[in-house]
Amino acid sequence: MEIMRLVVTGPVGAGKSTFIRSVSEIAVVDTDRQATDETSLIKQKTTVAFDFGRLAFGPEMALHLYGTPGQSRFDFMWDILIQKAHAYILLVAAHRPREFVDARRIRAFMRQRSQVPMIIGLTHMDSPNAWDIENTAIALGYLNADKCPPIITVNPNEAASVAQAIITLVQHSMQNCLV
Amino acid sequence: MAINTEKLGIVLQNFVTATSDVQGAALVTPDGLPLAASLPGGMDEERVSAMSAAMLSLGERIGQELARGGVDRIYVEGDKGYGILTSCGEDAVLLVLADQKAKQGVLMLEIKRAVAEIKLILN
Repeated sequence: MEIMRLVVTGPVGAGKSTFIRSVSEIAVVDTDRQATDETSLIKQKTTVAFDFGRLAFGPEMALHLYGTPGQSRFDFMWDILIQKAHAYILLVAAHRPREFVDARRIRAFMRQRSQVPMIIGLTHMDSPNAWDIENTAIALGYLNADKCPPIITVNPNEAASVAQAIITLVQHSMQNCLV
Repeated sequence: MAINTEKLGIVLQNFVTATSDVQGAALVTPDGLPLAASLPGGMDEERVSAMSAAMLSLGERIGQELARGGVDRIYVEGDKGYGILTSCGEDAVLLVLADQKAKQGVLMLEIKRAVAEIKLILN
């Protein structure tokens, strides 16, 4: 069976752990700890090593999902996880524009280390303060639409929405392989 | 009562200077933020803290998944020395860096004492 390793990354509170929990077929291996920094304003617990989930994708392929921590002090974990990734999704909370700069930093960090295909997933799009896709793309530094990776809307709480995001990511990475 | 960080720093510093072959120590929160540290030059406190938290949480998870029970300590033995992580109650994790020459029995005993002392300050 072929294994495809997908990394789920993004700033704190974008929905990475929830994303993996929604679709994993096994009990997710998580490393949550009580948050004591500014993270605690958003949520109580935060990932400190990684989340791991597994999902069968057709009869021949298994997807291994790795979720990274959000805070940049854990960038050594970003490094470890991206080294073996086949593709990754950058989750960004569309209603917290202040964190776009963190998302850009993660994107730059990943791009320096890995050329694997990636897509962007915007979460919290149902919030009244959410930015739309076009503006978020510009805020994330994609001024030229041709060079922009696929951007999708995803609700990490809904298994169907997460599954759609994963299909998009796998398709995108397959296309890149063929080119 | 507020945590006496100054006292924590002094306890760590004393531990590092008084225990032979110990090169550094750091006390961090379980989510990877520094509380107090006395580390060798060139080591970044924030990075060390995050790494300690990641390692302890993974170790505890391994203990749980592979039915090894609660984790007392996590041990990294390299050819240049040891890195030992010990949980200090719910709110802190102690990392000790020791030389290859360190006698393990003495080291464990000293760590146990330091943990007891730190717990007193934290509570």
